[in-house]
Amino acid sequence: MASEKAEIDALKKECDGLRTQIEAARKAVNDGSMTGASGGVASVGRVQLKLRKTLKGHLAKIYAMHWATDSKQMVSASQDGKLLVWDTHTGNKLVAVPLKSAWVMSVAFAPSGNLVASGGLDNICTVYNIKAASPKTLRELDAHTGYLSCCRFLSDSEILTASGDTTCCLWDLETGKQKVVFTNHIGDCMSLALSPDMNTFISGACDSLAKLWDVRDGTCKQTFSGHTSDINAIAFFHSGNAIITGSDDCACKMYDLRSDQEVINYQDTSLNAGVTSLALSSSGRLIFAGYDDFNCHIWDSLKGEKVGVLSGHDNRVSCTGVPEDGLGVCTGSWDSFLKLWN
Amino acid sequence: MSSKPHGSNNIAHARRMVQQLRIEASIERTKVSKASADLMNYCSEHARNDPLLMGIPASDNPFKDKKPCTIL
Repeated sequence: MASEKAEIDALKKECDGLRTQIEAARKAVNDGSMTGASGGVASVGRVQLKLRKTLKGHLAKIYAMHWATDSKQMVSASQDGKLLVWDTHTGNKLVAVPLKSAWVMSVAFAPSGNLVASGGLDNICTVYNIKAASPKTLRELDAHTGYLSCCRFLSDSEILTASGDTTCCLWDLETGKQKVVFTNHIGDCMSLALSPDMNTFISGACDSLAKLWDVRDGTCKQTFSGHTSDINAIAFFHSGNAIITGSDDCACKMYDLRSDQEVINYQDTSLNAGVTSLALSSSGRLIFAGYDDFNCHIWDSLKGEKVGVLSGHDNRVSCTGVPEDGLGVCTGSWDSFLKLWN
Repeated sequence: MSSKPHGSNNIAHARRMVQQLRIEASIERTKVSKASADLMNYCSEHARNDPLLMGIPASDNPFKDKKPCTIL
């Protein structure tokens, strides 16, 4: 037993040493701030977007939404037990998918537009074929031991999930089996985002950490700290070199992957509400962040300043998304409505 | 925080932590000044194609409700 204790003590000492080494390496490259560097960049001025459409149809809180890659269709999920696929140009509902479990927390559109997936407190990620005459359940991915908080398709044959059981998982949709399990978080995983090149993904969790993972080999490559509460939302900057996180600590942060550290903090003393969701405009210059204060606030990603607000919901903004063509922003809320702005 | 497992699980857990930290410690890091410059360049290169920055003419706006037409 003594030799065991000695080994554990040695390992702990090595951990402490490695942590100190990582902090020192980060400090060594910290030769200037992003806000300092962006001082010379022209201001975007006040960003005033107009409400163009309110999509009515759900009968309860909306928890999630996801744009199709055609930038026209969009899927939303509500705890009324339905997924709705919308044509956002006309405002028409195209497909309604009744859910086995109404406690949905996440929804995703496959890049092909053929499939949608959803899941929540049932711990299951269910994949539906929406091109069939009526929506058909293709797969029930059932292995997580906690709620499904987020899901994203890589293709019609692979999907990534994040769970309250603290793991993320890559599934093979042909077999319905887990291909890779990503373990390292020590709190519920709340959100995930795939890199533009699809070789890596990022996860945010209730341990207040964001982690970068290799999709194929399951390794956690980098860990980003700084938030002081649950990270609810996470997104890649379009270049693939930075990530944005949103947290219950009322702040958003940008972390640069190559510098391995936080480079900007988006926080305002007048904003005392948790961040629920976030999305970037197509150039990455604007961050649309949904908050518990019923608003979606707009941040200048380079200067760290608040530049606008989308007001109109009567309850928490739970989800936000910008389509691939960048032509607008969609916000979804606990007030049961989705709103389109540009 | 999860409760610490007993016995040899403790060692396995500590070994995994060391291995993970070794991976994270070994990466090359770029200077923040270079990283910031690259992010700023990306934004400026793509700004003119960002409809939410540039504005969208009414005729090209897919979300704007079109007024009904009258045939005269």
